[in-house]
Amino acid sequence: MIVQAICFYIFSAIAVASGVMVIAARNPVHSVLFLILAFFNAAGLFVLMGAEFLAMILVIVYVGAVAVLFLFVVMMLDIDFAQLRSGAVRYLPIGATVGIILAVELVLMFAAWVFAPEVGQALAAPMPGAHVTNTAALGDLLYTKYVYAFQAAGIILLIAMIGAIVLTLRHKPDVRRQKIGVQVSRRRTETIALVKVKAREGIGEEEGVR
Amino acid sequence: MAILAVFLPLLGAVVAGFFGRVIGDRGAQVVTCSCLGVAAICGLLVFNDIAVWHHTAIVPVFTWIDAGQLKIAWALKLDALSAVMLAMVTVVSFVIHVYSIGYMAGDPSIPRFMSYLSLFTFFMLMLVTSSNFVQLFFGWEGVGLCSYLLVGFWYDRPRANAAAIKAFVVNRIGDFGFSVGIFAVYYLFGTLDFGPVFGGAAGMAGKTMVFLGMHVDALTVTCILLFIGAMGKSAQIGLHVWLPDAMEGPTPVSALIHAATMVTAGVFMVARLSPMFEYAPIALNTVTVVGGTTALFAATVGIAQNDIKRVIAYSTCSQLGYMFFAAGVSAYQASIFHLMTHAFFKALLFLSAGSVIHAMSGEQDMRKMGGLGRLIPITYVVMWIGSLALAGIPPFAGYFSKDMILEAAYASGSEVGEYAFVLGCFAAFLTALYSWRLLFLTFHGEPRADHETLHHVHESPKVMLIPLYVLSAGALVMGALGYHWLVGAGAKEFWGNAIVVLPQHAGIAGAERVPVWVSTLPLVAGLIGIAVAWYAYIRRPSVPGETARAFEPIYLFLLNKWYFDEIYNFIFVRPAFWVARLLWRRGDGTVIDGFGPDGVSEVTGDLSVRASRLQSGYVFQYAFAMVIGVAIFVSWFLFWRST
Amino acid sequence: MPIAPLPNLLAALPEIFLAVAAMALLILGVFQGEARAAKEVSWLSVVVLVVAIFMVGAQNGVRHVTLAGMFITDGYSIFAKILVLIGSAFSLILSIRYNERENISRFEFPVLVLLSTTGMLMMISANDLLALYLGLELQSLALYIVASFDRDSARSSEAGLKYFVLGALASGMMLFGISMIYGFAGSTGFDTLAAHLGGQATPSAGLVVGIVFLIVGMAFKISAVPFHMWTPDVYEGAPTPVTAFFSVAPKIAAMALFVRVMVGPFHTLLFEWRQVIWAIAVASMILGALAAINQRNIKRLMAYSSIGHMGYALIGLAAGNAIGVRGVLIYLAIYLFMNVGTFAVILSMRRGGKMVEGIEDLAGLSRTQPAMALALGIFMFSLAGIPPMAGFFAKLYVFMAAIDSGLNVLAVIGVVTSVVSAYYYVRIVKLMYFDEPAAGGAFDRHIGVEVNAVLMVASIIIMFFFLYPAPVVAGAEAASAALFPG
Repeated sequence: MIVQAICFYIFSAIAVASGVMVIAARNPVHSVLFLILAFFNAAGLFVLMGAEFLAMILVIVYVGAVAVLFLFVVMMLDIDFAQLRSGAVRYLPIGATVGIILAVELVLMFAAWVFAPEVGQALAAPMPGAHVTNTAALGDLLYTKYVYAFQAAGIILLIAMIGAIVLTLRHKPDVRRQKIGVQVSRRRTETIALVKVKAREGIGEEEGVR
Repeated sequence: MAILAVFLPLLGAVVAGFFGRVIGDRGAQVVTCSCLGVAAICGLLVFNDIAVWHHTAIVPVFTWIDAGQLKIAWALKLDALSAVMLAMVTVVSFVIHVYSIGYMAGDPSIPRFMSYLSLFTFFMLMLVTSSNFVQLFFGWEGVGLCSYLLVGFWYDRPRANAAAIKAFVVNRIGDFGFSVGIFAVYYLFGTLDFGPVFGGAAGMAGKTMVFLGMHVDALTVTCILLFIGAMGKSAQIGLHVWLPDAMEGPTPVSALIHAATMVTAGVFMVARLSPMFEYAPIALNTVTVVGGTTALFAATVGIAQNDIKRVIAYSTCSQLGYMFFAAGVSAYQASIFHLMTHAFFKALLFLSAGSVIHAMSGEQDMRKMGGLGRLIPITYVVMWIGSLALAGIPPFAGYFSKDMILEAAYASGSEVGEYAFVLGCFAAFLTALYSWRLLFLTFHGEPRADHETLHHVHESPKVMLIPLYVLSAGALVMGALGYHWLVGAGAKEFWGNAIVVLPQHAGIAGAERVPVWVSTLPLVAGLIGIAVAWYAYIRRPSVPGETARAFEPIYLFLLNKWYFDEIYNFIFVRPAFWVARLLWRRGDGTVIDGFGPDGVSEVTGDLSVRASRLQSGYVFQYAFAMVIGVAIFVSWFLFWRST
Repeated sequence: MPIAPLPNLLAALPEIFLAVAAMALLILGVFQGEARAAKEVSWLSVVVLVVAIFMVGAQNGVRHVTLAGMFITDGYSIFAKILVLIGSAFSLILSIRYNERENISRFEFPVLVLLSTTGMLMMISANDLLALYLGLELQSLALYIVASFDRDSARSSEAGLKYFVLGALASGMMLFGISMIYGFAGSTGFDTLAAHLGGQATPSAGLVVGIVFLIVGMAFKISAVPFHMWTPDVYEGAPTPVTAFFSVAPKIAAMALFVRVMVGPFHTLLFEWRQVIWAIAVASMILGALAAINQRNIKRLMAYSSIGHMGYALIGLAAGNAIGVRGVLIYLAIYLFMNVGTFAVILSMRRGGKMVEGIEDLAGLSRTQPAMALALGIFMFSLAGIPPMAGFFAKLYVFMAAIDSGLNVLAVIGVVTSVVSAYYYVRIVKLMYFDEPAAGGAFDRHIGVEVNAVLMVASIIIMFFFLYPAPVVAGAEAASAALFPG
């Protein structure tokens, strides 16, 4: 147990620390790298809870795809963080005041945390049993109890996809694309013309290669 | 059936109004006229249903207002009274729609005109079939609005605009009384439905209520307030000033609104509310006196006017006076009878006058006419028919109804009844006088128009003449036809309980028992009037001028319509302007504006500038605002909630 | 493995139909190619929406909870859904010609509107905080995209981006609130929450703060002050049909959701959250009345106008009883037609083939286009709440509810601000009827049959509502009764 506890505190400490660094780092590339670190630690926390499937998904999807994409984007954009900061400094006093007030209030509130009685029950039976794998258990929930939320999330992703295409895809007329259908359906007669070339005259302009 | 009759004109109005541009002039005319035609047929069928089979009913349309205790439904009340009005309004309106096709030909906005006309008809039908006060008020205001729109139809003419505004403002005064009257009804009876109100009227007699700090008879005050509304709408003396000016509108409008239908709404209202008025004798006496006075007053003014339409307008005013004093002596049936015959012959007179004006290329001054009888014979003949009916010469329609009214006034036996009778007889003489003065000046004698105009004089097209035939037929036979049912032996059965007359009031029953001289006096007065007119305008054309010179003050008095406009101008309009200017300069400008609107609006404007300045356009500021908002709400809850 | 029983999908049929139809139309559009498909897909989407209206209408008002307790249909959801669907359908109809003229006609637009509408229906039917959040995100994401649909215009892109960033912030806050509610109450289901809170004497502070965060999220969606800041910029920047859409359907859906959440699970905390609602209602009414006076752009003006109107609708929510909810629903129904009509006019403000948006451009409209001026006049009087236009009755019902619940101050502020706001509405009427026609001449004539039809339907409804208010009032009454059983 003690190993687990130590691991938990290590993972969560690093996760929080890297979370802070994401917004504190001067270099945006560093920010993204810290984000990846935070993801890794979150994955570690999942493993601790026995949710190895979620941990792997987190690593593969977030670290492998999302964060790397981020990295590319950040590297391609030329963001001058120093300039952005200078603006933020002007609003720092009032921003800090509001932030501190909110933070204090939330801390006060969480000090009065009382677990609802139902939470205990939920904790008591978190696992469907030893013989059921993590993946199967998730699937069982996703397609029964949470089928509605699952489908809704699917539609949200579809919208995101449509949105990305609508807002960015442009058909430029001068860009040549490979159209396999056109290529395959070409006939010899359309493309090749036999031209009798008289000696010493060459071929005329209009019969040039299409 | 009744629903069809009431709502078809609305349909026509909507189609012509909204799609006028799409369907064109011809389309708008066809649509509105056919809607009205079908409505007229329905109206006659409904009348038949009720007159013959006595199928009185209240046809619910739908619930309108349902707020707490106040429940008001749209419903059509169908009884003998509304059936008479329904049939009359739809038929006359249809005829005038058809006439308008000819009269308005060439006007640039025909669909608008037809649409207004149909809309007016709808509101009028709503008014006559209403089953509660609110619906009555709705129709009342609706016809007022349409009248405003139609009088000011030629909005590019300043005089038409001024007349429209005058009509509207004067009617507002009446409507104010009317609406206060409705409040009083609600206050007294706790409902606005006709049924319960009429049922409870008997129990309300003699009760008092506090009005303007005085204890007064409740029903009397209510009825007088309602009657003020009727005075405004029906142009009774005092509130009559808008009617002659309203002649600035197109002639079909004058015929429909200012002769046949809208102006009679007041009379209709008094008849409809007969169960209430019957228990308020003082109110009835008021009605009688006002009616009788108007009848004479308007007739005297009529003889001095030179504008052909104004003469007829004053004649309308005077005839409405007859109807009112008939109602005042509890002869509601006679009043409605006269209303109906009057609708036909007065519409006829207006339309023929329109035909004359049409022929004279827009000239309305009778002094510039003359000798037209040979040039436009058909108009001449129908004008004669109309005038004979108006003057009450048998067997034309007016004879029956006017005689009945005067007999009833005499039979009532009260002082006010006699007052009305005397004035009415004298007015009958004057009526004949100004009618024949109009006829002689217009159609007889030497032409006084210039050559150019005379050259263009022509009979109106068929589409205008056929309506004239229909109306002349009405003016000829309506009196004889309706006599039996409306006021004769069949009256009791016909009216059923649509009209209530207390046994102690003589009403039309008393008219049977009057001496012979009473029933012949109006006819004699009329004939004398005609004779005098003939003598003065045909035999000795110099007489009028000499008389006018000899009695110049009187002549001027009449010519200037008893100086009503001037007096109003002096008493109300100019002081109102003066007070208004004072209030505006001093009161408004310095006191109220300083602290009120101007001050407030300045502060508002200032705040507004600040409010818009909040909108900087920077996302982070917006986000910041949100965070601050959250912080405030959270703090509020954590620190002030617990205390 | 046991096979789980299929949930009752019939209750969610309209949503499923909309989502599937949207995908089918997407496929159709892709295969047809952009140029041809846009118009066709748009009209088909309108048909889909109309079919969905009938599907919703066919549901009886009986309460059904399905999909593991996350989805609910009852009389309330039927009323609100029909309003949303009408709003979406009208906005789509208005968009077709405009998009063609502005060269932004693409088939994805109607598809996104359909998907967004699906999200709105899901919001209205949410019976779980999770379902609430997903529905909200579904509609918002589609809205962010359509806001920047005119991607070549800097203003439109900016609008979309601003909306997106601030929307994300609001979503984050809301999610935070949901997590707090979950943490302190132990459930996300509305029924469980209601049962749980019903038994408690005093709620824990954490729960109330969680509710505050939740309110923030929804107040953002209905653009109530101080979470309104995005509204004027987005309204102005987005393409006009999108603005029309924004001003009706999402507002109605979010307001319906707001009401359901507040009077459903948190009804026992009425005296806690009423203060927040009170404050944002007052702030919205005041800002809506004041800030609009200074605007020169009619779309911006409409933004402030809708902020103010949401403030009035919130009055009904603050009342927190069946009468108040009835007031909110009537308000939303009337608001829908006033706004659709007004935007139909704004969409017709074209001169020489170009869109104009200045208020001054309306000067003298009565002389050049009397019918349009009349319609806009009707809408302006109605928005100002002048009888006998429908807008007057909308305000009347919420004010009545407020007085009924003893919120007299709220009602008085409401009346005062509507007098102030009448200033800028009536000013437009004055411009149209009493000022000389604007320089540049009349607007372009051919505004399109469908725009005309929308204009006419809306103006007739607004003008003649007072003659026959029974269907709306009775419908709203039945709907609000569904939220207050017993």
